[in-house]
Amino acid sequence: MSLRALLAAAALALAGCAGSPPAAPEGGSKAPAAPAAAAPVDPSSPKTEITLYFPSATEDKLVTETREIVDTARPAERGTQVLVALLSGPQGEGALPAVPEGTTLRQLWIGKSGTAWADFSPELSDGLVGGSDDELLTLYAIVNSLAANVPQIKRVGLLVGGRERDTLGGHVDVRRPLPPRPEL
Amino acid sequence: MTSSAVSQFASVRLVAPAFLLAAVLAAEPVAVRIAADASSGSTRLVLTFAKPLACTTMEAAGKLRIACPEPIAPDAPSRTLDDPILSGWSAEGDRTLVLALGPGYRRADTFELSNPPRLVLDLQGDRAGSTSRGPSAPTVAQPVIVLDPGHGGVETGAIGSSGLEEKDVTLDIARRLKPLLEKHGVTVVLTRDEDRVLPLDDRTAIANQNRAELFVSIHVNASKRKSALGAETYFLSTDATDDEARTLAALENKAYAPQQVATPASGGPDRGLELILWDLAQNSYLAESSRLAERVQHEMNTLAGTKDRGVRQAPFRVLMGATMPAILVEAAFISNPAEESRLKDAAAKDKIAEAIARAIVEYRTQ
Repeated sequence: MSLRALLAAAALALAGCAGSPPAAPEGGSKAPAAPAAAAPVDPSSPKTEITLYFPSATEDKLVTETREIVDTARPAERGTQVLVALLSGPQGEGALPAVPEGTTLRQLWIGKSGTAWADFSPELSDGLVGGSDDELLTLYAIVNSLAANVPQIKRVGLLVGGRERDTLGGHVDVRRPLPPRPEL
Repeated sequence: MTSSAVSQFASVRLVAPAFLLAAVLAAEPVAVRIAADASSGSTRLVLTFAKPLACTTMEAAGKLRIACPEPIAPDAPSRTLDDPILSGWSAEGDRTLVLALGPGYRRADTFELSNPPRLVLDLQGDRAGSTSRGPSAPTVAQPVIVLDPGHGGVETGAIGSSGLEEKDVTLDIARRLKPLLEKHGVTVVLTRDEDRVLPLDDRTAIANQNRAELFVSIHVNASKRKSALGAETYFLSTDATDDEARTLAALENKAYAPQQVATPASGGPDRGLELILWDLAQNSYLAESSRLAERVQHEMNTLAGTKDRGVRQAPFRVLMGATMPAILVEAAFISNPAEESRLKDAAAKDKIAEAIARAIVEYRTQ
């Protein structure tokens, strides 16, 4: 297909979906680098301890819990295990779930310059119907947990259902990757 | 036609892609969706373009011509409306849309929005039996303060345990605050004065369009912790806009999302550049935004008597791109049953409005 035809097709596609969400970026020939969970982690490998951030049950801040994951040198595999553990919820009384019920991780990519892109199921935003307090804590539970346990990750971009979003729940800008906030 | 900061910033990103694509796409008409809304005081016409296009508007002899640099394909090439302000429109050639202005028409306020690219025309005027109201540019040279009642329409915001909805509380407080500020010789514009959905971009655009002196977004908070209570005031955080993150975001949007380059959500290849420009817009006002936030928080603590949660910073979407000091007030926790009851009480809401008003007046006299 010529460049002109491609551009025309893009313009037509745009006209068709103006006002509605854009098509999800399907993994084509130019799929992002380092796809997560490419190979299953070998459960017999040595374990390593990670720190997860959850909203506190009593205060306006994040609290930590530790977990064991399979030790792996691959950042995307490590980050995926961190998020899977985070999504399965807190174990202690002092913490609340970090994400709305039913939220699953679709994929995690890690770029060369320290940016991770985490793609979640729609429950992440559909379930965030409250105030900015909940939204900020959910957001930074994810960002802090990834940045604290995967040294290669400096900031985290969030996608929902494969799509970029302006906000998760109407307040906090997630159009670009966010650095962690250790003070939360 | 009003030239605003919005169009100045927007033009930077409008020019480049239009120029680059012009050579290849010269003969392909650009799809345009036209929507007219005559349900409020003014008639609003929104043209949504399939790609950024720097169209110009010119008014003469009861017509308003929208001339585009490339051929366009409107979804409704002609229409007749039963509206004293806008009688209808029709296409003229393949690049121009002609609006037929009605007898009630007075003037047009024009501004551009992106994601997707839109040209918005607010046609101001008089309708028989109704007067023009709603967010319009004031004609007198008084300073303007824009109040932004959070959420609206189906977007209820947080809901308290007794069913009280954030969108109603924020509008109620804004309506109480408006006359208190007007007593001090300022014009107050509400981003919405009715229960309707209003995109976050449009809220800031209304402030920029009105060349507002201050932008105050009013919200109430909610938490899964029912015990959470108190008031806090936010301004934009700087860590969300650190140079490195901005630059990388711009680069990585291109490198890792090639399929999204032309989609409305990602805003085209210059999305990163656009974000940088918008960040810089509010970055120039962070010191003043911080000072305003401190004053509001101080008055909320003393006058409204709420628990002090302090001044905080976060990358709030609605504060980005405001070309004036901009804050977001979380007046109380609707998720806390005691505070929810207070938010139903007229006297308590008056106190919140009085606290914000006093803070703004003090800020302006400092």
